[in-house]
Amino acid sequence: MKKLFLSAAFAALTLVSCNNEGSAVNTVETMKTPQMENFDKAFKSLGDPQNRPTEEERKRNTSELSERRKALLVPASKELILSTGVTEAELTRKTGGDMSQIIVWATQIYMQKSDEIRKNIKSDK
Amino acid sequence: MKKILSILGIAASMAAYAQGTLVINNYTIYDYRGEVIAHNLFAPCYPRVVNNTPIIVPANSNTGTGTQLQYDNFRDQYTSSLYPMAAWSVATSPNSTTIRPWDHPALVPGGTFSNNTRWGMSKFGMVYAGTNNNVVGFNADIAIAGNPCYTYSDFFTTPSGANSAEMFTITSGSNVTTYLQLY
Repeated sequence: MKKLFLSAAFAALTLVSCNNEGSAVNTVETMKTPQMENFDKAFKSLGDPQNRPTEEERKRNTSELSERRKALLVPASKELILSTGVTEAELTRKTGGDMSQIIVWATQIYMQKSDEIRKNIKSDK
Repeated sequence: MKKILSILGIAASMAAYAQGTLVINNYTIYDYRGEVIAHNLFAPCYPRVVNNTPIIVPANSNTGTGTQLQYDNFRDQYTSSLYPMAAWSVATSPNSTTIRPWDHPALVPGGTFSNNTRWGMSKFGMVYAGTNNNVVGFNADIAIAGNPCYTYSDFFTTPSGANSAEMFTITSGSNVTTYLQLY
């Protein structure tokens, strides 16, 4: 009876361990912070029908993303910058509210965090 | 006089831009297969630098999954990118094309080709993930808007409207990132 109980316990342990194995499969996608997630969503949303370039925007002679579409990226960019401990006042002082500067800054933070996650995943293995 | 002016012109164009970073975000369920061209933005549009072997950015490879194509410059992409390009096809005139390794002195940051080119266009065709089968209607030549060398549209939609592609830049000071997005 004791033997049976032990082997059952052993089987249970094995099951638990195998289960953990599965959840250890982490990717940049699953380990992103909510702020990173929103930044991604904003970038991807540029392709949504209502966010595509308008006829007017397509007639422009510049490759720069239009102000209207940059504005779609700004809220998530700000959120990501603030999540690193930067204050609202610092953000305003450093960027002067310039949308491109805000987006570029957030992009750098994003890439850095994404690299860190990738490194952590590697060192876990 | 003419010589001085052209030297000044060349110096000005060098100061005006360096190629900048290229990011390809593929948000679709298809693989991107194509070429990216960095070139001089003034006629006659040389030098021109093109990937030597086709670039494949698999389905759903983008910053969201941490698998976007990112080329910081012709050289460092080889060591830092998930899509390393070992050699570039460099044209200095219509009749002169040479294959140059990624660490060629003129391709490194500050080198002639690096200083005188910008990411300007892409020619691509989407294929079903992991296959060679074309996705009908989802192939195009697109270029950044205002490109005097390649006058393709910077925006493309498939006939059904389900998929689209575009090229744009986001610039802050001297930091230029060119995005090629596939939705």
